[in-house]
Amino acid sequence: MTQSGEEAASEITCREVAEWTSAYLDACAGDGRNARIVLHLAVCAGCEAYVKHIAFVRRLVGLLPKAPEALADPDGLRGAFVARHRKQ
Amino acid sequence: MNGVAGAHTGSSGQSLSRVAPTMSATEFLLTEDDHMLITRLRRGEEAAFDSLVAKHHGALIRMAMGFVADREVAEEVTQDTWMTVIQSLDLFEGRSSLRSWIFGILIHKAKDRGMRERRHTVFSALESIDDEGEEAVDPARFHQSGERAGHWAFPPRPWDDQTPEKLLASKQAVAAMRRAIDALPPTLRTVLVLRDMEGVESADVCAMLQITETNLYVRLHRARERVRQAVETYLKDRA
Repeated sequence: MTQSGEEAASEITCREVAEWTSAYLDACAGDGRNARIVLHLAVCAGCEAYVKHIAFVRRLVGLLPKAPEALADPDGLRGAFVARHRKQ
Repeated sequence: MNGVAGAHTGSSGQSLSRVAPTMSATEFLLTEDDHMLITRLRRGEEAAFDSLVAKHHGALIRMAMGFVADREVAEEVTQDTWMTVIQSLDLFEGRSSLRSWIFGILIHKAKDRGMRERRHTVFSALESIDDEGEEAVDPARFHQSGERAGHWAFPPRPWDDQTPEKLLASKQAVAAMRRAIDALPPTLRTVLVLRDMEGVESADVCAMLQITETNLYVRLHRARERVRQAVETYLKDRA
């Protein structure tokens, strides 16, 4: 007997989808769980919104401006690099 | 663990002379850019070293800050990491990207520094596996019983009119996101910085931190959820 989409989607709860969202977005949730999440998302607006939120956050963190950081002792470090090469 | 750990030095007692200073059989796994860069570094090209430092120094400081509380100590650990990179260039086996190798050295040193300073709170927090406890999403947002148990009682609202770029155009939003990330405990902050901020592959993050993929995703999701809550609060307050 073939399961309906809603029956298949009900095999995973919203709470479980929420917990597995990051792994799902990185394609690391596992094939079986991934398929259940896909079916669930097709019929659950709350989970669809939640998954989109986490995808948004993932991208947002990557786009956050990064403060430039200066070396405490650039000359010392470059000197060590040059000295290493001279030793060889 | 792969070559990330292979050239670690110092208190772990691992030898610096374990690998011959020749190209290893695994270096074919490197990207072309990494391969060219490591060749130039081994030739002693200062410009190559300057570009390597310029590319990764900021990320290393941000990473170190996740392990040590003090910025000055983070800078020392990072400087020490660069010294080890210089001394160990010939030991790089190419089993990971050059970046993962450098980050691995930093993590090793930051943990070591934490231990030496007896900063047991941070160190044990990084080592402990407490992932089974708290759920990322507040359980109160779900039905607790009945036919709908485990399904949303208070579902999130879509952010359809938002994009990360639009949000980041606001200085207040950037400050709120930074506060949320800075407030994360070290275990969560470290994985978020590595995976989402620096774009390190999951497998490399697991290798660097010596955690399983399951642990990685539990921690990463908790971290992302806390930032999500900060976005939700920011958007709600602004409305």
